[in-house]
Amino acid sequence: MAFDTTQLIPLLPEIILLVGVSLVLVIDLMVTDKERTWPFMLTLFTLLAAGCTTVMLADGTTQVVFDGTYIRDPMSDILKASLLFLAVPVFIYAREGLMKSGQWRGEFMTLTLFAILGMMVMISSNGFISLYLGLELLSLCLYALVAFNRDSSKSAEAAMKYFILGALASGLLLYGISMLYGATGKLDFPSIAQAVVGKESDIVLVFGLVFVVIGLAFKFGAVPFHMWVPDVYDGATTPVTLLVGSLPKIAALGLAMRILVDGLGELQESWQMMLIILALLSMALGNLVAIAQENIKRMLAYSTISHVGFIFLGILAGSDEGYRAAIFYVIAYAAMAAGAFGVLIALDRKGLEVDQLHQLKGLNEKHPWLAGTMLLLMFSMAGVPPTVGFFAKLFVLEAIVSVGLTWLALVAVFFSIIGAFYYIRVVKHVYFDKPTDDVEVEVGGAAQVMLAINGLAMLALGLFPAILMNLI
Amino acid sequence: MSVEKFLFYVFAAMLIFASVMVITRRNPVHSVLFLVLAFFNAAALWMLAEAEFLAIALVLVYVGAVMVLFLFVVMMLDIDLSEMRAGFMKYLPLGIGISAVMVVELLMVVGPAYFGLDKYAAPAAKAADYSNTEALGTLLYTEYLYPFEIAAVILLVAIIAAISLTLRKRPETKYQDPSKQVTVKKEHRLRVIKMEAEE
Amino acid sequence: MIALSDYLIVSAILFSLSVAGIFINRKNLILLLMCIELMLLAVNINFVAFSYFLDDMAGQVFVFFILTVAAAEAAIGLAILVVLFRNRHTINVQDLDTLKG
Repeated sequence: MAFDTTQLIPLLPEIILLVGVSLVLVIDLMVTDKERTWPFMLTLFTLLAAGCTTVMLADGTTQVVFDGTYIRDPMSDILKASLLFLAVPVFIYAREGLMKSGQWRGEFMTLTLFAILGMMVMISSNGFISLYLGLELLSLCLYALVAFNRDSSKSAEAAMKYFILGALASGLLLYGISMLYGATGKLDFPSIAQAVVGKESDIVLVFGLVFVVIGLAFKFGAVPFHMWVPDVYDGATTPVTLLVGSLPKIAALGLAMRILVDGLGELQESWQMMLIILALLSMALGNLVAIAQENIKRMLAYSTISHVGFIFLGILAGSDEGYRAAIFYVIAYAAMAAGAFGVLIALDRKGLEVDQLHQLKGLNEKHPWLAGTMLLLMFSMAGVPPTVGFFAKLFVLEAIVSVGLTWLALVAVFFSIIGAFYYIRVVKHVYFDKPTDDVEVEVGGAAQVMLAINGLAMLALGLFPAILMNLI
Repeated sequence: MSVEKFLFYVFAAMLIFASVMVITRRNPVHSVLFLVLAFFNAAALWMLAEAEFLAIALVLVYVGAVMVLFLFVVMMLDIDLSEMRAGFMKYLPLGIGISAVMVVELLMVVGPAYFGLDKYAAPAAKAADYSNTEALGTLLYTEYLYPFEIAAVILLVAIIAAISLTLRKRPETKYQDPSKQVTVKKEHRLRVIKMEAEE
Repeated sequence: MIALSDYLIVSAILFSLSVAGIFINRKNLILLLMCIELMLLAVNINFVAFSYFLDDMAGQVFVFFILTVAAAEAAIGLAILVVLFRNRHTINVQDLDTLKG
């Protein structure tokens, strides 16, 4: 059978990214420039080119190529496009932070681009084999990036914990996949979906499902498999935390949707119960423990855990409305998280990272622009109208109420209100407290403009949520 | 009992024995060597399941490269064995308890009730000219071409990540520069100083 | 004849042993890495056995990829271990207490 080259068209975004990262890898070896302007420009260009190609290819249809190992559908288009476009601010903030700490090396660009490639492979996988390979491509890059600051034992320790728990999660996930393979005899999602019809109570299937859900929960960082999240957020240098905390959540949603909906949609009753437990625990523990944190990176880590609970709510609704709400939520969350860590990076000084809450005191007097951005981001995370965070929560709640889980929606609202406390506390520090020191805030022009856009986007999408919702 | 079944039990018993030793030996070098033994026995089991290529690959690639890398790191890092011993007894009961519960639960699912010979009969033997390597290779380069490319990228990432993490230029390290060594001139080494003769 | 359940039981015991190993040896990072290798071996035995009894090569293809990834994973894991050792001069988990978890 001759190879049909038109099969390569849906893969164009991945191909552009792979070519771009290879060029960055080689060109970076030749530049002597401390600021690495050329590789950086090429990185941004690659991301934008791949993002625009994704948008151009998106036509609302589903294409399966490469003998059923690759799928491009409306969900993959929106997730990949948002991933690629959000990667641009992530790179701009990360460059700012790494230049300040003198660690701006080419490997950051290559490993991050490879991680993004891994996320795209995950989102577009149509079977367990490509899904697993994409997941590992992402994870391996992240392990190495967490240890990026080689002279910090805190980073190395965080990387080691992340590595051990991540590898354990992969092991559990694989054991679950092997059970599903045994029960169905298939490894690609459409065939699995066919094979599980009428076998809802097959014990082997449910058993495999339990392992798969545990593996997923580990990767998402849902309670009770969340132990690595605060340590990795705290231990990694802030630019890496920015990366770990934002983009992979989009990919994790893609992963969950592919396995649970595309592959095991028939077992919805079984996984819905498991996700309800994970979501409840995550929202409760995430919000309560975040209140006690003095370290803002750890606080944002626990806040991530609580947001993961909300994302699970959208998935477990099991309706199209719920899935769309989850996609909306995850994109909004990735943008908020990127902005919040971006502000922290902007506040960093040469060789000193800002990670304590009290260091934010009086930011409004020092730098009103950044203070305003932080205000918008925190309100959005807390879900205060009219920011995008409010609508993200609203859509998810509507979706679960419409499938009859009203009690769950009420619990979610209750924990969000508790959660609002610690976000508002940050705003209080920024606006109503006196500065504890008189160090000037030094932040580069590109990062400053990008942050302002990021903050205003949260407001704009909140005022007109239909702009994003209609795309999904 | 057929020869095959006898061999299966021998290799399976050795595999489980080796794994127990891996997790209980205190000296990491011993653990690595027992892990090698475990891999050899697992390869034999795969051979019995007619996965010849993977069995060979497990021995050549896994034992030959990955385990050697483990041994290399274990020996390079100077590990204090007495510290390692601490806490072992403390967690032992917990470890045994958890694994006992897991074994029982797993066996309930994977036991003969669901996967016995009556449910899954052993497949007929393949024809004499059947090549497992060829079948696997054909699949890898046709149906699984896309995952195959991704695997290549993963290996590239492993190279970049391992080098970027561990390669460093230490300011205190002294390097030789052969081109300077061969172009050295007499004047670089020997200085003739004229001075007054002293009594 | 060897039954599918025989393979699965061996793999299940191996899997439980590796989980037990992770609990027992939480002080020793290099042993933790080895336990993860054992866990992947258990998974691979499962796949090979299913592939044989279902007469479907896809399982063996998956094992091939798992072996590749596991090799890459081991390389990165050991690299992180080396970085950690350089910084701390210990790989004893007990001494890793900078982060509270």
